[in-house]
Amino acid sequence: MTNRQLLAELTLVLRILLRQPGFWVPTVLFPAMLYAFFGAGLAGDGPGAGYAMASFAVYAVLGVGFYQFGVTVAQDRADPFILWQRLLPGSALAPWVARVAAGVGFSALAMALVLLLGKVLGGVLLADGAAWVRLVGITLLAALPATLMGTALGSVASVRAAVPLANLVFLPLAYLGGLWMPPQLLPAAVNAISVLTPTRAMGELAWAALDGRALPGWYLGVLAAWTLAAAGVTWLAQARHRRAVFG
Amino acid sequence: MGRPIDARELVKSFGPVRAVQGLSLHLDPAEALGLLGPNGAGKSTTLAMLMGLRAPDTGEVRLFGHKAGSAAARAQMGVTPQAAGFPDQLTPREVLTYAAARRGGGIGLDDVVAAFGLAPLIDRRMAGFSGGEVRRVALALAFLGRPVLVFLDEPTAGLDPTAQEAFRATARAYVAKGGALILTSHHWDEIEAVCDRITMIDKGRAVLDGTLQDIRARMRGRQIGFGLPQDVAPPEWLRAERQGSRWRVESGDSDACLRRMMAENLAFHDLTVEPLALKDIIARIGQEERA
Repeated sequence: MTNRQLLAELTLVLRILLRQPGFWVPTVLFPAMLYAFFGAGLAGDGPGAGYAMASFAVYAVLGVGFYQFGVTVAQDRADPFILWQRLLPGSALAPWVARVAAGVGFSALAMALVLLLGKVLGGVLLADGAAWVRLVGITLLAALPATLMGTALGSVASVRAAVPLANLVFLPLAYLGGLWMPPQLLPAAVNAISVLTPTRAMGELAWAALDGRALPGWYLGVLAAWTLAAAGVTWLAQARHRRAVFG
Repeated sequence: MGRPIDARELVKSFGPVRAVQGLSLHLDPAEALGLLGPNGAGKSTTLAMLMGLRAPDTGEVRLFGHKAGSAAARAQMGVTPQAAGFPDQLTPREVLTYAAARRGGGIGLDDVVAAFGLAPLIDRRMAGFSGGEVRRVALALAFLGRPVLVFLDEPTAGLDPTAQEAFRATARAYVAKGGALILTSHHWDEIEAVCDRITMIDKGRAVLDGTLQDIRARMRGRQIGFGLPQDVAPPEWLRAERQGSRWRVESGDSDACLRRMMAENLAFHDLTVEPLALKDIIARIGQEERA
């Protein structure tokens, strides 16, 4: 994979995306809007405000990465342009890298809007500048597993099933992970499941980063496991798809 | 370095359907091969295996000695995307620039832009392009950077006559400079204009394989055309078919046929004698082999 190719792939992906403002503007605005309605006001101005903002930052990254970039992979399987790309010289992996990178980039934009809203409108006060940096860093890191999980789902599901299925998975995950309400408020039975979800892991990591605590090992492990599983499922599903279509 | 295409004993089944059964095919530099056959004959499957999109069940495809589909093989070949396969948001310049970067860069667009008349379109988004315009972009992508092997699947579907002519000229010039080209087409005249050799596929097998010259020589057939007065019918032995106001005869020995027409004092006028068109030759070979 040469830098030249990677640059060309990124340019291509970003051009196609940026020229569809009807797609990316709402995608990027949606988490900030949700935060303005339900996150910023309800959490008050105590330390809870910071946690709520962090939760919605995670939610932003998850929504954009998982939903908008990952799941659309399902549609791409039938795309003749992508078929043609496979026949060009160069690395077959590079177009994927570029799409994941674009997904992470747009996730970052959505997250930045949530943080901006939290700071400017919500008046969220964090301990120091370093806390903001840690929060951004950890949340960005979460964009990768989020995008990969979407890619996995998009690779397994049929074109028509992908979006409804994503809804079915995404909204419960956000709830179970305690992104919409603090996990302390979750019923015990729900909490037992919650600690295994990738969303809870992302949230816990973000909250720890906010406080400047050491990152909890359990949740690092949970997230790593989900990431590997998603990458594995994607790889297997794509291989199966290649056999079916190109075998 | 091996031949541009060397495919041996390809077999491919889809469930119980044997799409391709034991097909061998080769292509040399400076040669254009036409792949012919009715729908469902196995043409597309064969082409997909040659390009490396599908793996044969048994048999092997080598492009310049490299396994089809490998990075080394892909580096040598140019392919058209299927029609209607471009993202609406991009311009031809952007797609061509992208393809050039994937070929390793340092490739000018000017040649293909001129060859396929893309200059007026080059910076317009492709969303509103007509089928012919999309096709011209696709062809430009196949020839971009002068790959040593070019695959063209129905290259001129949807092109107007001027663009078809431009395509034929470009294809011939490419082959004349040593390029290897394989194309599928339903247009017989296009195959005649571009290709040196044809392979005809039916039911997953190559039923006919030869240079156009050989095929024509093998079939020394001619078509004889003439008019007759209103009240005169052609004799039975001539087996003439009506064609508008004229009559047409296909003959393996036009000389003997004409001599007999003269001997019988047939009142023909406006006589023409021409070589058989490729499609008629192939039809005759098919008849002979069935007989």
